[in-house]
Amino acid sequence: MAKDSLPASKGLERLVEALRVLPGVGPRSAQRMAYHLLQHDRAGADQLAQALAGALSTVRRCARCHNFTEEEVCALCRSPRRDASLLCVVETPADLAVVEQTLSYSGMYFVLMGRLSPLDGVGARDIGLDRLLARATDGEVQEVILATNFTNEGEATAHYIAEMLRARDIKVSRIARGVPLGGELEYVDAGTISQALLDRRNI
Amino acid sequence: MKRRAEHEAGYVLHTYPYKETSLIVEAFTRRFGRVAMLARGARRPRSAMRGVLLSFHPLRLSWSAPAELGNLISAEWSGGLRPLAGRGLMCGFYVNELVLRLLPRDDPHEVLFDSYGETLSRLAGDGPFASVLRGFEKRLLAELGYAPLLDRDAASGAPIDPEARYVYEPDRGPMPVRNSHSNDLLVSGRTLLDVAADDYARPETRDEARTLLRALIGERLHGQVLHTRTVLKELNDL
Ligand SMILES: [Zn+2]
Repeated sequence: MAKDSLPASKGLERLVEALRVLPGVGPRSAQRMAYHLLQHDRAGADQLAQALAGALSTVRRCARCHNFTEEEVCALCRSPRRDASLLCVVETPADLAVVEQTLSYSGMYFVLMGRLSPLDGVGARDIGLDRLLARATDGEVQEVILATNFTNEGEATAHYIAEMLRARDIKVSRIARGVPLGGELEYVDAGTISQALLDRRNI
Repeated sequence: MKRRAEHEAGYVLHTYPYKETSLIVEAFTRRFGRVAMLARGARRPRSAMRGVLLSFHPLRLSWSAPAELGNLISAEWSGGLRPLAGRGLMCGFYVNELVLRLLPRDDPHEVLFDSYGETLSRLAGDGPFASVLRGFEKRLLAELGYAPLLDRDAASGAPIDPEARYVYEPDRGPMPVRNSHSNDLLVSGRTLLDVAADDYARPETRDEARTLLRALIGERLHGQVLHTRTVLKELNDL
């Protein structure tokens, strides 16, 4: 970016700098956003500022599932209609939302807010495994379902959670993987098919 | 330096998110050594590379390299290796971190590459993995030009006595024990000979070899801490 295109005011400069905390936003797009907000959408900017300040002061992590909520314990965790004997472990709130969309799971959740990533130095404490352990051994949970991603990091996370829980006599299962529903083999990638062959089952 | 590489045998060592939809890929290739590449759009939901750019799987990589960061053009699955799981997977992360931290970029190491592939296929097995890891650490040190002296006394040049104990000086080799200090790296002659022969059948050899190679690797890391070791330790404490 050329020097002369830098914002001229201190406030604008601070806004551009602040917008760069967003993932994938570099100096150029941050500047574009800042100009847009100040020039064309000052009402939107005000809304954004208030929503952000509001969320920061009210949204926190649910004491039981670690998902975002405005209460001590979220609505899902308090619901009497959920099966409290099942605990599904997911990496992110987005993963939780996807499992909910299936309408085929009615148990509880634990959101790790990440995964083990040994090469990045992300370990057990960073994803709250100690708190997961406490939650899974509270006496209510009968089975823990591991729904972490099928990446190497997701697999490592599932492996360590499984070891940790098996050592305490808690039933652990892992969601299955393979060819997608409606998938035609010809169009499925080789890695998936190779894994589906390894994970084949008797019928 | 302008070059283009097509269908080169390689493995992904690690990937880092880059901007909204791309990845920086650290790869270990047979003919070009460790290379860094930009995989544009690889994090888009329908990217063809998404399910392919995974560690521990043999790949065929094509890239162009106008500067130090190449552009990844394609990555193809080349199969033939069982996926790592459980402890073997954790060991795989450790091996990848060693290569990432210790191997300089753009420096071909074909012997090490083959040994890396061999290491992965053994880590895909049932274990135990101690001998696999020690073998790889030793090969890596040798490839970097720091092959440990194991069969001779570094002071006198005399053959190692299996019944004797030695102080291992990382930049020289095994020395006879004189007035030993508490932070000396003490190792038995038997272990030195076992490591030289890649024989890890004895539990004492496994313990001492782990400490010895850890110290030798540590010398080359110049104070850097290995993340994989810290993470593993924390997991074992749970
Ligand atoms: Zn909750």
